[in-house]
Amino acid sequence: MRGDLPQIAGTADISRVARRLRRPSSRRASPWAWFWLALGMLYFFVPLVATLEFSMRAVRGRYTFVAFQHILSDPDFYRNFGFSLMWAVITMVISLLLVVPTAYWVHLRLRRLRPVVEFITLMPFVIPAVVLVFGYIRLYGSRPLVLTGSPVLLVAGYIVLSLPYMYRSVDAGLRAIDVRTLTEAAQSLGAGWPTILRQVIFPNLRVALLSGTFLTLAIVVGEFTFASLLVWPAFAPYMEDLGNKKAYEAAALALISFGLTWASIGIIQWLGRGAPGQTQVTGAH
Amino acid sequence: MPNRRLTRRDFLKFSAAAGGSALLAACGGGAATCDPITSADTIALDTLTECATAEGQLTTIALPHDWANYGEIIETFKTRYSLTINELDPNAGSAEELEAIRANRDNPGPQAPDVIDIGIGRTVTAMEDGLVAAYKVATWDSIPMKDPDGYWWAEYYGALVFECNMDIVETLPVDWEDLLRPEYRGMVAMAGDVLQSNEAVQTVLGAGLSRTSGAFEGAAQAGLEFWAEMNAAGNFVPVIADVGKIAQGETPLTVEWDYLALANRDTLAGNPEIGIVVPQTGVITGPYAGGISAFAPHPYAARLWWEFVMSDEGQLLYLKGYAHPIRFNDMAARGVIPEELAAALPPAEAYANAIFLTVPQLQEANTYITENWRRVVFGE
Amino acid sequence: MTVDRLSVQGSVVDAAPSGKKGGAPRARPPRSRLIDWLAVGPFFLFALLFIFLPSLQIFIRSFQDREGHFTFDNIVTAATGVDFVNAYQASLSISLITAVGGAAFGFLLAYAVIMGGLPRALRTFMMTFSGVASNFAGVPLAFAFIATMGTAGLITRLFEAITGVNPQRDLGFSIYTIWGLSIVYMYFQFPLMVLVMAPALDGLRREWREACENLGGRTYHFWRYVALPILLPSLLGTTILLFGNAFGAYATAYAFSGSFINLVPIVIGAQIKGDVLYNPGLGNALALGMIVIMALCMTGYGLLQRRSARWLR
Repeated sequence: MRGDLPQIAGTADISRVARRLRRPSSRRASPWAWFWLALGMLYFFVPLVATLEFSMRAVRGRYTFVAFQHILSDPDFYRNFGFSLMWAVITMVISLLLVVPTAYWVHLRLRRLRPVVEFITLMPFVIPAVVLVFGYIRLYGSRPLVLTGSPVLLVAGYIVLSLPYMYRSVDAGLRAIDVRTLTEAAQSLGAGWPTILRQVIFPNLRVALLSGTFLTLAIVVGEFTFASLLVWPAFAPYMEDLGNKKAYEAAALALISFGLTWASIGIIQWLGRGAPGQTQVTGAH
Repeated sequence: MPNRRLTRRDFLKFSAAAGGSALLAACGGGAATCDPITSADTIALDTLTECATAEGQLTTIALPHDWANYGEIIETFKTRYSLTINELDPNAGSAEELEAIRANRDNPGPQAPDVIDIGIGRTVTAMEDGLVAAYKVATWDSIPMKDPDGYWWAEYYGALVFECNMDIVETLPVDWEDLLRPEYRGMVAMAGDVLQSNEAVQTVLGAGLSRTSGAFEGAAQAGLEFWAEMNAAGNFVPVIADVGKIAQGETPLTVEWDYLALANRDTLAGNPEIGIVVPQTGVITGPYAGGISAFAPHPYAARLWWEFVMSDEGQLLYLKGYAHPIRFNDMAARGVIPEELAAALPPAEAYANAIFLTVPQLQEANTYITENWRRVVFGE
Repeated sequence: MTVDRLSVQGSVVDAAPSGKKGGAPRARPPRSRLIDWLAVGPFFLFALLFIFLPSLQIFIRSFQDREGHFTFDNIVTAATGVDFVNAYQASLSISLITAVGGAAFGFLLAYAVIMGGLPRALRTFMMTFSGVASNFAGVPLAFAFIATMGTAGLITRLFEAITGVNPQRDLGFSIYTIWGLSIVYMYFQFPLMVLVMAPALDGLRREWREACENLGGRTYHFWRYVALPILLPSLLGTTILLFGNAFGAYATAYAFSGSFINLVPIVIGAQIKGDVLYNPGLGNALALGMIVIMALCMTGYGLLQRRSARWLR
């Protein structure tokens, strides 16, 4: 019925339209939507179920979760996951500190630099990680600048890998809020740049930042090349190692890792609920 | 770096002095001074021990714990000499090991490997590029496969066997040609990738040697043809097999090193049952070579490691991991091999026709197989 | 419009009693340039140290042979060697398949959760799930699909239970082909499309839909004349992004089929890793070729994204 009318015929139609305008943004659920979603979920979950089924065959003749128990009682698991989680958070923070001021500045004042910055942020897609890490070891592993002992190279690598996502999110967020007006308003109230960034920009970007950070988390936890070649006890090398040794536990671990990453992202998402929306100009809270 | 060359006598004098001062230092807590090593001659064990302890660490690379019992070897070494072991990337291949040495040339930190374990074929690159230092361990003379100047030596070897998931494979194959039988359709896989894994290249070569009845001439081509037939028949599963895929059933018949196959059997512990068969012909061995980085940050610890690994005790630890130590024959002749360890391996008769190729032969086969693999097997 | 805003901003700041160097762009005192550098400097320094310089290495090493001397051989081999040309073809086809397929179904998924009228919770679920799934790659992903559709996979066994036929053992069917690998790649392509298109779909203003209805348009008209034209640059751009993503995928392809399917990242990997081949110069030359292709993709993506941004403010 909706939209069927070739023209608005009379008051009845006008009031119908008016009613629709007052209704919240959700529309009647289209059956196609359910169909696509169901299809998608089938595709995504069947392989996970297959992995689960295999992991449950750890004991001959019956299904059991003992492989999961083995993983969850392995201290290495906690150590490596904790390590990756911790460095994911550090990466997120440094990445935000690098990207947000830059994106903001480019958006506001250095428009001409935008293509350059965008190009830089797309370069990590273009260079294979294994080549990059050997590049780091060569450049920064010998005098005068020996960084290979410290986690600097690892974090740098993580930041580089997550840069495209972080920048994209921040950029999208900046586009959605009226940066100029906010900045002008803040300046007219006497705020300096640090204050503007801290109290005006960051809070308004909360939703966009969340999106960038949870992708960073997923990337860092799953990242193998840098951690393995730079020799750090991260989660992905642990997974790889286990995969070579134990059949059923490896499958269990893949699922646990999926679940944990999802949970972490869920937590970040939940923490970011109720933040000022991306779509409207709100000014500082 | 000292200007004058250290002669052996200097060195012995020095180590005596070092020993003496180390005694005092042990009371006073100072470190013994150990000069940089410039010769390949064997160093006395106590000197090595002291200087290694002073260095405090050893950095290894590419030593998975469940590969030929490296786990126990590393633990034993660590506890006995109270050294910290930095274990770099256990899954590194020979190329990454050499690259790690190269890239960490000036880096005295724990990312620079001290000792390496590479495929025999790679030793030429290692020597040509000046990445390894020469050293002759105490048991040097009884090592049958080595570089005469001491730049590398074989540590252990295994033979390629057929590892079968008995839930899916009903009759065990007896020889390479059996793999072509229709009952093995969609079952046979290699444990590595032909372009990256020594093991996979040897798998091709092994099949070839079976067809040429052990003659090296033409074995590489014969091997490629064998696998082309396997692919055409649909028996070949083009995936890299591992213990998970064997258990899951994707690669129920995998050609793998015997020590890995036996270790897998232990890991799976009957779930599923694993059958292991040494082929009747084409029993190809794959020795791995050990070396010391030319830029090792801990040269004494490195040499101490090799003294341990190439000693009877170290070699027996390999045997415990189902790998044949390279000094097997010498040790068997002297009667130092315990019954139980020998019994855990497939019977010795199976290895009677084991083929040991020379380094130039391996290199030639490597090149031939990798260059022609896609063309012959996949026809592109 | 931009120029107007700048001058507005300038005048507002001039009038403000602020003692801070907010900096009137019009006047451009030298100190504002300093703060410009302070703001973007760290980023550029980081990019220089950790992106440009290591990349330069790739470029340089492509022209070096094993001893380090200058040579064009690597580039020539990379561009003309039969194996490599085939690898590029295979990589291009799998990237194309998964980019188009991924974009199409990913778009449908994004549409379903954003505009399909489904409960809000499903949208959150889809977004967080996409975040995880877009990074689920390598060994676990390859194994998951082998466990699903391989010779002894879940689906295969179900099929065998129903029909009595095992596709692999009895019919010689194999999943280790470009198409099989494409199915695996979709696992991270679909979510990536969802993640990137969701904000764009969100930006389709409700008002436009209703304006269209007011003018008598149906759903078809809305999509044909309003939504798709607006979204097109974004759609194309993201398809290119997916293309690049698939082209560079290494871990998953290697875990799934080793070098048995001939792809560019696999060939590169074989030259710089492993026990058998070793020619870092060639590996780097191949990487350079890959970089050129990817750079073209990314430029296209960037340009198209900027066009779409005009509407979706």
